[in-house]
Amino acid sequence: MFRLALKMSLARKSRLALTSLAIILGTSFLSGTTIFTDTINSTFERLFTDVFRGVDAYVRSSSSIETNFGESRRGPTPISALETVLNVPGVSAAVGDMQGFARVIGKDGEPLGKEMGPPTFGGIASASVAGLWRVESGRLPVGATEMMLDRSTAKAGKFVVGDTVRVNAFSGTREFTLVGVANYGDISSPGGATFALFDQPTASEFLLKPGFVDAILVQGDGSVSDEELASAITAALPSEAKLETLTGAQITQETTSQIKTALGFFTTFLKAFSYIALGVGCFVIYNVFSITAAQRQRESALLRAIGASRRQVTTSMMVEALIVGVLGSLLGFVSGIGLSRALSALLNALGLEIPTSGLTIRSNAVIATVVVGTLITVLSAVLPALRAGRVSPLAAIRDSALDTVGNFRHRVILGLVLGALGALGLVSAVNGASTTVLGLGVLGVFSGFLVLGPVFSRPMAMLLGAPITKMRGITGAMARQNAARNPKRTSRTAAPVLIGVALVTSFTALASSLKSEIRDTIGSAFRGDYALSVDSHGFGGIPTSITDQINELPMVEQATGVGLLPAKIGEESRFILIFNPKTAEGLYNIPMVEGQQSALTTDGILVENNKAIEKGLSIGSKIDVTLIDGRTVLLTVRGTFKSAFANYAVSRELFEGSTTPLFDNSVYITIAKGVPDTDARNAIAAVSSDLGIGKLQSRNQFIDSQAGQVNQILALIYGLLFLSLIIAIVGIIITLLLSVFERKREIGLLRAVGMTRSQVRTMVRWESVITSLFGAVTGVLLGIVMGVVIVVSLVDKGFSAFTLPITGTIFILIGAFIIGVLAAVFPARRATRNDIISAIAST
Amino acid sequence: MSSTVANAMITSVAARAESASKIYGSGDNEVRALDDVSVTFERGKYSAIMGPSGSGKSTLMHCIAGLDSLTSGQVFIGDTDLSSLNDKALTKLRREQVGFIFQSFNLIPTLNAYENIVLPLSLGGKPGDEAWIKQVIDTISLHDRLDHRPSELSGGQQQRVAVARALASQPEIIFADEPTGNLDSKSGTEILKFLRRAVTNLGQTIVMVTHDPVSASYADRIVFLADGRIAGEMTQPTPEKVLDYLKHLGE
Ligand SMILES: Nc1ncnc2c1ncn2[C@@H]1O[C@H](COP(=O)(O)OP(=O)(O)OP(=O)(O)O)[C@@H](O)[C@H]1O
Ligand SMILES: [Mg+2]
Repeated sequence: MFRLALKMSLARKSRLALTSLAIILGTSFLSGTTIFTDTINSTFERLFTDVFRGVDAYVRSSSSIETNFGESRRGPTPISALETVLNVPGVSAAVGDMQGFARVIGKDGEPLGKEMGPPTFGGIASASVAGLWRVESGRLPVGATEMMLDRSTAKAGKFVVGDTVRVNAFSGTREFTLVGVANYGDISSPGGATFALFDQPTASEFLLKPGFVDAILVQGDGSVSDEELASAITAALPSEAKLETLTGAQITQETTSQIKTALGFFTTFLKAFSYIALGVGCFVIYNVFSITAAQRQRESALLRAIGASRRQVTTSMMVEALIVGVLGSLLGFVSGIGLSRALSALLNALGLEIPTSGLTIRSNAVIATVVVGTLITVLSAVLPALRAGRVSPLAAIRDSALDTVGNFRHRVILGLVLGALGALGLVSAVNGASTTVLGLGVLGVFSGFLVLGPVFSRPMAMLLGAPITKMRGITGAMARQNAARNPKRTSRTAAPVLIGVALVTSFTALASSLKSEIRDTIGSAFRGDYALSVDSHGFGGIPTSITDQINELPMVEQATGVGLLPAKIGEESRFILIFNPKTAEGLYNIPMVEGQQSALTTDGILVENNKAIEKGLSIGSKIDVTLIDGRTVLLTVRGTFKSAFANYAVSRELFEGSTTPLFDNSVYITIAKGVPDTDARNAIAAVSSDLGIGKLQSRNQFIDSQAGQVNQILALIYGLLFLSLIIAIVGIIITLLLSVFERKREIGLLRAVGMTRSQVRTMVRWESVITSLFGAVTGVLLGIVMGVVIVVSLVDKGFSAFTLPITGTIFILIGAFIIGVLAAVFPARRATRNDIISAIAST
Repeated sequence: MSSTVANAMITSVAARAESASKIYGSGDNEVRALDDVSVTFERGKYSAIMGPSGSGKSTLMHCIAGLDSLTSGQVFIGDTDLSSLNDKALTKLRREQVGFIFQSFNLIPTLNAYENIVLPLSLGGKPGDEAWIKQVIDTISLHDRLDHRPSELSGGQQQRVAVARALASQPEIIFADEPTGNLDSKSGTEILKFLRRAVTNLGQTIVMVTHDPVSASYADRIVFLADGRIAGEMTQPTPEKVLDYLKHLGE
């Protein structure tokens, strides 16, 4: 029986090829993203191992605050500790290290580095072996006017040794002479970040505070182990300095895992997408098996008629599934390798240089892909194979009929129950349940819709096809009938389109709600004429000294800055809003629920209303807040406010005298009465944007660009969902091809009685368009439902409006139309290639 | 006499083949399905083609009907030389001047009986002659089944619809390849009677391939094929005469 099964599946090459194609499609994304993630991780591991090769111990502040993305912010280390460290026996060298905020301003006056892109660093270039930089050309900088750049930044800015380079950092904007270009380990720059490097005193003074560095890199003389060295250093340091010492291995490991967590957002995203692709692929695979099982009905029936048992028929199909599953997954893995290369190329093109030196292919990735691919293939084949076993031997004589939907009522009930459970999952996920619940919710909603699919695919196809019948006469009518004739097949074929479109629609709906929320929030808070802002979120920004300078300009009536820093409130690490209550009045209004914004004093804090309720805080309550520099202060709640974006707000004065550099993200400005706009603009620009510090925009421009930032995230999501639409297209192509094979005789007959080739193509094309539109229309409906559910359950969190993405929806429908037309090209050509005689003669 | 015959041939020939040969494969696998066949089918006549299995009956029919091309020789529908037509023109010719009835799978499962009947007309974007179509439907007496799908019709009814479809566009000639091969004798007889009536009463031209001497006896004339060649002819056939001839042919 096994040999028979093998022989039978090999005899149907096109069926085999199409089934494999579906599996390849589903698994290649899985393996592609796995290989890509493994490659990134191992590359960074290698990079940091290399970079920290000469570092035996690492001294840093022991106070730190974790931020959302796995990085942590630490207090600074006094350079005085360097002396102590150098005197510890076993230490041969020690230098300061720094990763502060510094923006290199290009020759065209624009800061280098992408908006929202990788960070822009300033650091210390040191001759010590413990230093992380290798000089490539020129020499190390010495003194207050010299600097060095990393190789890729120098290249990007077209800077050569001897050039004057402007750099903007905490202490303002200065000019330096470029004396050297360096490599980080053996690469030009890690992850596309830019580095401006100085000698230690310059770096401390320019980037942080004179006398402080971020950490001290130590090299031992080899007389003691790294562990012994680290504990000797710890013992030598005064305990009130709040410093800790790590071994070289520890800091390497920590940095690597930090990068991994930082990239975690991205890799999770990729993984989520590869699961979507896999899920969509499942549909295609299941569809292929169902269709081919129907097509081989005669074959199965004949086998039964000549004495094969049910089990044998089922087994022979399962064996075929197993073989195709293994082969397809292996091929999928191979194409995944190509895909991971494409991903790196894409990221490089976006400016996120991932230093890949060859791909990392772990055997786990191969095994996982093959196991998952084979498993879903075999599972997809179970139902069709069982059905094939149950076929009556009589079916050998019957023509393959139209398929039936089975019990409508059961379907409707099951579909509605699944959908409702899914919606419940969505709502609870939005209200704080885990991402697993979210995943299950999405799964539930989709399964509900897909179970319901066959119930309404026929009426929907008839409805969507009605105009085509009008336009195209009998050809259109037949396309419409073909789209409606196998309700299950149509709904399974449309499923990938449905999933992609539903996700796009709900993301679009969510994004436009978010955008209008951002507009409302900023619009009602910001009352001035101009805003100066930076896009570097949470890292660096506009030095507060610049804000003060702007405020003092005669042409400016009032200017106030708003910044963000992480802090620990109770046990929670949160970004807190930092503003200046003295200058904010009337210009930057926090929407207060209770209390007054102006009542905020140095020892006060404002709390978001829901947060206050959750924590049982009210005006007068006291909470402990730990700042980055390690200070813990007891703050009194002075008021509560409403916001979807911030939980706490404190006064800028809280940071006076702190070693933490304080930046504003945006500065809001009202110009003085009677001053011409352009004059005021020029005056502000002279101390800020002309120096590469921030972007100066009118109120409207600023609000637009803040809301527009949502689009960047949306674009990324669209990009990946676009790939899932490719799967959808291939799914439609496969189904159409199978349908064309299946209807070979029918098409032959049509050609015999006078259908032209172009009419055959038209017929196939419109069937494809109807199927694709069916997926798109139901997808839009589902997307809107999901969007509404999510937005409505976010109302508490400050979301107010559900915005229907009308233009987006129109684009989606046009897109679905185009997908339908494109998917039909090849199957339509295939349909006209059938030889009429053999089509009629074939049985 | 000879001039009147020649005249009649020019005016009343629906289709003809001249030295038609069809060779499948090449070398050792070469099969001569048709070997220098010349035959004429008169307008307004009911002709039958008979011969042993594999003698080239279907091939001859397909080639004359423009479904397949010859290796050498010529075929004409009316005055049109089929070899001069491209695919589009051939399709149009099949749609307008040729009707088909196959042994089985004659109908499009997604269209109802009426839509199947007028399919060639619809494909050409033509309304057709309404009175004629009504007459055709009357002839096959299927009024109450016109909105049924093929799957809801019996085999005999399906063949009747196929006959109506072949007639609907008033073609120059209708080809039927064993149209009763899949039917019981009662339904088969019905179809044969319809075909006979289409020729006698409606003036159509029909060429029918059959194995059955009784079916063949409905025709005005029988052409016998053997090994891809014309083996003989018979006019005014009766089942006995045909049976006799076939026995003789088999020797
Ligand atoms: N596509 C093909 N390739 C090769 N040989 C073919 C092909 N089609 C037909 N033949 C051969 O041509 C010859 C004539 O076939 P044809 O179908 O015309 O016979 P027939 O008289 O209709 O037979 P039957 O009564 O069995 O239908 C046969 O020997 C057949 O094997
Ligand atoms: Mg035949």
